[in-house]
Order: sequence, then C-alpha cells, then structure tokens
Amino acid sequence: MLDYLRYSMRTLMHHKLRSFLTLLGVIIGIMAIVSMVSVGSGMEESLRKQLEVLGSDKIVVSPRIAYGTTSVILTDDDARALESIPGVAFVSPIYTVSSDVEFSGETKVMQVMGVDPEKAEETFGRGAGSYKLLSGRWLQKGDRYKLVLGYSVARDTFTRDLWVGSRVNLHGKEFEVVGVFAKAGDRSRDYSIYTSIDVLRELFNAGNRVTFIVIRVEKGADIDKVRMQVEDKLKRRKGTDKGYYVVTQKEIMEEVGEAYNVVKVVFGGLASVSLIVGAIGIANTMIMNVTERRREIGVLLASGASRAQVMRIFLMDAALLGVAGGAAGLALGYGVSLLINVAAERYLGEGVLVTSVTPELAVFSLLFALLVGVVSGMYPAYRASRLEPVEALRA
Amino acid sequence: MAISLREVVKRYRTGKVVVEALRGVSLEIPRGEYVSIMGPSGSGKSTLMNIMGALDKPSSGSVRIDGIELTRLSDSELAEVRRRKVGFVFQQFNLISKLSALENVALPMWFAGVSRSRRLRRAKELLELVGLERRMHHKPSELSGGEQQRVAIARALANKPEIILADEPTGNLDTASGMEVIKLLEELNAQGKTLVVVTHDTDFGRRARMRVKMRDGQVLEVER
Repeated sequence: MLDYLRYSMRTLMHHKLRSFLTLLGVIIGIMAIVSMVSVGSGMEESLRKQLEVLGSDKIVVSPRIAYGTTSVILTDDDARALESIPGVAFVSPIYTVSSDVEFSGETKVMQVMGVDPEKAEETFGRGAGSYKLLSGRWLQKGDRYKLVLGYSVARDTFTRDLWVGSRVNLHGKEFEVVGVFAKAGDRSRDYSIYTSIDVLRELFNAGNRVTFIVIRVEKGADIDKVRMQVEDKLKRRKGTDKGYYVVTQKEIMEEVGEAYNVVKVVFGGLASVSLIVGAIGIANTMIMNVTERRREIGVLLASGASRAQVMRIFLMDAALLGVAGGAAGLALGYGVSLLINVAAERYLGEGVLVTSVTPELAVFSLLFALLVGVVSGMYPAYRASRLEPVEALRA
Repeated sequence: MAISLREVVKRYRTGKVVVEALRGVSLEIPRGEYVSIMGPSGSGKSTLMNIMGALDKPSSGSVRIDGIELTRLSDSELAEVRRRKVGFVFQQFNLISKLSALENVALPMWFAGVSRSRRLRRAKELLELVGLERRMHHKPSELSGGEQQRVAIARALANKPEIILADEPTGNLDTASGMEVIKLLEELNAQGKTLVVVTHDTDFGRRARMRVKMRDGQVLEVER
C-alpha cells in the first residue's frame, strides 16, 4: 500500500502542472462544498444558540423566514391577547434590529434586542442557560435610554472597554450603560445589546411591531396544550397559521436542524456539480495517462507486475489525485469561510453569522474527494491493466 | 533445458491482413547457454524473444521455460514467470523516468513482494555489480546511454532469474559502451545465467556459443 502510494507520489510530482490542472476541478468543487456548507452550519449554530437562551418552560412565537410564504407581522396586541390563555404565566414581546453603535469615535454594527424593561430579567435571567450579570443591573421598569451589554460588546468590540456608566450612541441617540453580562461563550449572546423595546421601536419607527414573543407557562401546566391554544388564538387573529412559528424550545432545535439540513443539502448539491466536472477531468486525464504511459505499463509488466498490480498503481494515482485535490479544496474552503466571517462581521454586525467548518465536514469532504478520485480512476485503471505486455512495450 | 520451443506459430492481424511472424519454430536452449539470434528485420527474431519471455503468447505450438508449459498458464501465472524466471534487457533501456536508478532496479522486487529495505539493499548491491553505485540516486535522464543500459541489466537481475533475454542491447549505444554492455552480459553468462541475445551486429552475434539464424519467421540454421 505504502509502495503504491510512494509510486503515485512520484507520478504526481513528475507531472506537476498536469496534476495541478487535473486537480483544479476537484479543488474548486471541494472548496465550494466546504465554504457553502460552513455557512449553513454557521447560520444554524448562531440561531440555535440564540434560542438556547430560552428555558424549557418557554414557548416562542417567531416569524417564518423561509421562502415562498409572506411573513405575518406580529404586534403588541397579539402579545397581549395571549396573556389570557390559561396556563400562561407571562408574555414578553421582543423586537430585534441591527443597528449602528458609536462609542468614543468608533462605529460598529451590532445586534440590538428590545425587551420590556420590566420583564427583562424574567425573560432572560431565569431557567437553564440564563444570563448572569458581570456588573451593574438588569433593565428595570421605566428605563428608557439605558443599555445592558453582552460581554463581548463591552470588552472585545471597541478599542476602549465599556463599563457601567459609559455613554454610547445608538442610531443617533445617547444611551447609558447600566449593566454588563458575564461571558456566555456564545457569540450571538455576547455580541448583543439589550434595551427597552419601546425606545428601540421609536428609534427605528417600528410602531408596535414585534419580532418574536416569548411565553412562559405556569409551573405544572401542560406546555403542549398551551402551545396549541396559542396557535388557535393567533390563527383567529391573523386569519392564517402560516408565516409564523409557535414552538417550544425543543421543537425549535429540531426544526432549526432540519431547515439548515435542507440549506446544507441544497448548497452542497450545487457545489457537487462542480465536483462532477472535476471527476470528469480526472477521468479524462487518467485515460490520456493510460495512453501516454503505455510504455511504462509495458515495463511494469515485463518487470513481473501482474494485471492486478498495474490496476492498483493506476487506482492509487487517481485516489491520490482525489485526496490531494480534496485537501487543497478543504484548506481553500476553510479560507473562504474565514473571509465570509470577516465580510459578515463588517456588513451584518459582529456575532450574527459565524461560519463553522466542523470536523465532520472536513472528514466528509476528504472522503468525498477520495471517492471521486477512485470512481473516476476505475475505468482508466481497468484499461491499463488489460494491455498486453508486447503491445504496451511497442508504444 | 532452460527454454524449449516446439512448432511455435505466431500470427498477427493488422486490419484485414494476417501476418505470420513465426512459422513453426522449434528450438532447444540448454541451461547456461549463450545464444545469439540474428536475421534481417521482419524475420521474427524479436517476436521469438518476446514469446520466450512470456511477454507474448504464441498462436499455436508449445513453449516451456524451466519445464513449465507457458501456453497453459493464466495471465497472473505468466506475470509470475516474468517475475521469477526471466530478466529483460531492451534496446530502448526502458527505464522508468520518474524513478532513480536505485528504484528502477528495485522495481521487479516490489512486484515479487520483497520488503522495501531488502529491495533497496539488493538494488544497491546490483548497482555496485554494474559499477554504478555512485549514480544510484540519479534519474535515467541524468545518465548516459551506456549507464542506462547497465542499470537495465541490474534491474533484469533483481529477482535472480535463470535467463537473461536481451533484445538489441547495444543497438542504441556507441561502440565503447556497447562493448562494456556485452562484457557485462557475458560475465553473467559465465556465472551460469542462460543468455539469449537478439542482435543485428554480426560481430556481437559471432561471440555466442549457439548462433540461431532466422529468416521469414523460420529458423534457417543453428550453429554451435
């Protein structure tokens, strides 16, 4: 095995330019797959983490962002209407927006979450995965131009650190920092800013719009039953059950996973097309190779190689081409995904989208490249092994 | 007998024309013999050599090497015969250009399943034998014709075959390096290897103890 590998390395290095051109198809294909799937994984990851904030006794109503359905606009009135459902302990509407944030001359784009100040601690500070304060306090009833910052907003975003008492310009208005959260280790949380929902909506002329609604059920209440009633009520109010989700945290996790699997498969599928082109490239080079290396095959046969050994030599060539292309594609794909991060940070704000090249993705792409190599090398290798020694030597 | 041929016929089909390259050749070559095969081009001498070395299959007739009937062997058994019983030396040297001299010599041992360290040790010894130990890491393109042919001879010896088959081994060499190659081959014969040489060169051919003259796919005469 090692000997075949060594022999194929020699072949690869002997025809550097041709090997590289052959590889290009595979490199581009794998690069596209890795970078596209990493975006899908990253989106999934950041949304999942965002939702983890909510405890297991919570129900969330959020707009559907999938294609082909018109998004329903939720309002304060919808939120208020849900309060009367039996088993509902608490309803908290939330409005989120990407906003420019200026501090001591630097401007960044950041995710801002507006919440009813009175309900802030209830919404984020209770149950599993809850927020902990590092310093200062939660938003309180009557707070207007006050902010509580995620850890990374305070420490990693601006050249100067922010502290309780710092003054920050958010979309042109001055706010005062009243609290800083402890590090949660999750970018979407650590890079978010929390303020009053009413102030945020005034600032962005959002009327009484709500991005999502968090509902907490009473202790001992049947969460699925409450959820169904929430669905019924919203359906009556909105005249449709499309355009928004009503889900418990567990369901969100499952749905998010599924949705992003579709995204990943579609992205991966598109990228696979270029990989097929790459495979045809390998097959083409390998067939030319067999013709061009007839004399070499003759020498191998005259030196006592069996047909099976000749076949293995050529299969190893193809496998090596595949893996080399896969490794280069993986490295480039990883590079592209890092570039996407930089671009996302600049244009979407920090922590909104962080692509992730998972170990599974890396292993999968290498194996896939190997498979592409072997499959496209099979027929050429077979042809090589069927040559008659004398004919091969005559070439 | 090292090689024994009976009524060997070889027909080629080129398009619609059938060419008879060998028309019933019978030949007995004893162990340790030094044989030259001479004749004009197209007389079938190379075809005969290829059949002796299991590189080609006869259309009819019998071929025995070391008592083994080749016409009854499968492809992989024929590969085994090429690997163990014969060593080839070609006019074109036929070294693999991407491998060093050492690796070229070690190649047949790879196919015979010899471990890498043992192959390289023996390849080195063989290169010493042909006087090229200093050139062992050179690629064929960095060697002269004579040196390349000596590497090819070392390769032919790799798996310790009984028989050396050389097809015009001096055909691409100048007189001096041709002579060196002849000397080397004759030395191997003196050590007990059966040596069969196909050549145009009558001076070279005359040196053999057994001289086979061919014409039109048949053996014209055998001199001893």
